[in-house]
Amino acid sequence: MATNAAEEREEELKSALWYSIGQYIDEETIEQNINTTPQFIGALTELVYSQIENTSRDLETFAKHAGRKQITMDDVMLLSRRNEGLETLLRQKMDEIIASDGRPPAVEKKAKGRPAKGKGKAKAKQ
Amino acid sequence: MGNCWRGVLDLDHVTACLQHRHTRSTIPTPRSYIMPPRVAKPVQRKGPAFKPPRPIKSPAQTANTTTTNRASGANAARSAPANKKPTAARPKAQPATTIISSGDEDEGESEDEDILSLSDRDEPMDDASDEEEQRALPPPDMPRRDPITPGLLALLLQQGFDDPKIGIQRGAMLLVEEYMRLFVKEAVARARYERNVAKKSGVTDGFLQVEDLEKLTPQLVLDF
Repeated sequence: MATNAAEEREEELKSALWYSIGQYIDEETIEQNINTTPQFIGALTELVYSQIENTSRDLETFAKHAGRKQITMDDVMLLSRRNEGLETLLRQKMDEIIASDGRPPAVEKKAKGRPAKGKGKAKAKQ
Repeated sequence: MGNCWRGVLDLDHVTACLQHRHTRSTIPTPRSYIMPPRVAKPVQRKGPAFKPPRPIKSPAQTANTTTTNRASGANAARSAPANKKPTAARPKAQPATTIISSGDEDEGESEDEDILSLSDRDEPMDDASDEEEQRALPPPDMPRRDPITPGLLALLLQQGFDDPKIGIQRGAMLLVEEYMRLFVKEAVARARYERNVAKKSGVTDGFLQVEDLEKLTPQLVLDF
């Protein structure tokens, strides 16, 4: 029963993801004057789903490795460790987020974390 | 020509189609076999060969050539029906020459020239119709949206965590959203690239296929 429920949950999430990606692709196709087969959207959904699974596992591992219970931006930045272009883009986005927050989210982290972590964060920001 | 109406009830498009059909109909049937369907929609080529009477500028002129050709003997007479077409199609075809032997060769050349000019005329026509289609599309002024809605992504991430107690910061969540947005965008862009490559090598339509995704996935996953 438990596995059944889990499978159902997975199916639900996948269909939601399919819908979401389908919407996005629809807009892209109109904008870029291309066409896609429905199978393409389905396959892309599977690809993105497994990529998200991997990502979440990675993030969890990174956070645990740092001895945290919370995933921080630095963990996400580690995802791009093998791709410089991606790192540049993500770093830009990170700067944007920090700028829009006004104060870096290190405040939340410091409330829970240890001083060592705070130092690590400060280093990354530079 | 029925495909002109397929799905799109747009005046611009329809007029483009009509123009398209009009220009196309002046081309003799064999041309459509010479030119492979390079267009995105091969269906456009499949229409029944509509061959209207070609405009004959000067019937006297054609009569002239045939008479001179007939005079030149059996050899010229054999080539006469082939030559008649270009002479009739081009209003400025050279008038029947007095020197029959060289005139025969000239006419052979002029036919080649005519093929060239016809195929030349064919190309901009295809492009023009493509442009017409592009213009018929609505302008891209809608707001950008994420391929994966934020709430859904949060749920999916949660699903992937082994430890249910693990949390994620808001900023980190935004960053993951950006990461996945880039991932999907990159996948589509690469699929487009693969499709263009496939288009060059063979006859395909412009639809992004699963096989494109199959080709790009290994490198994409390595890059992300």
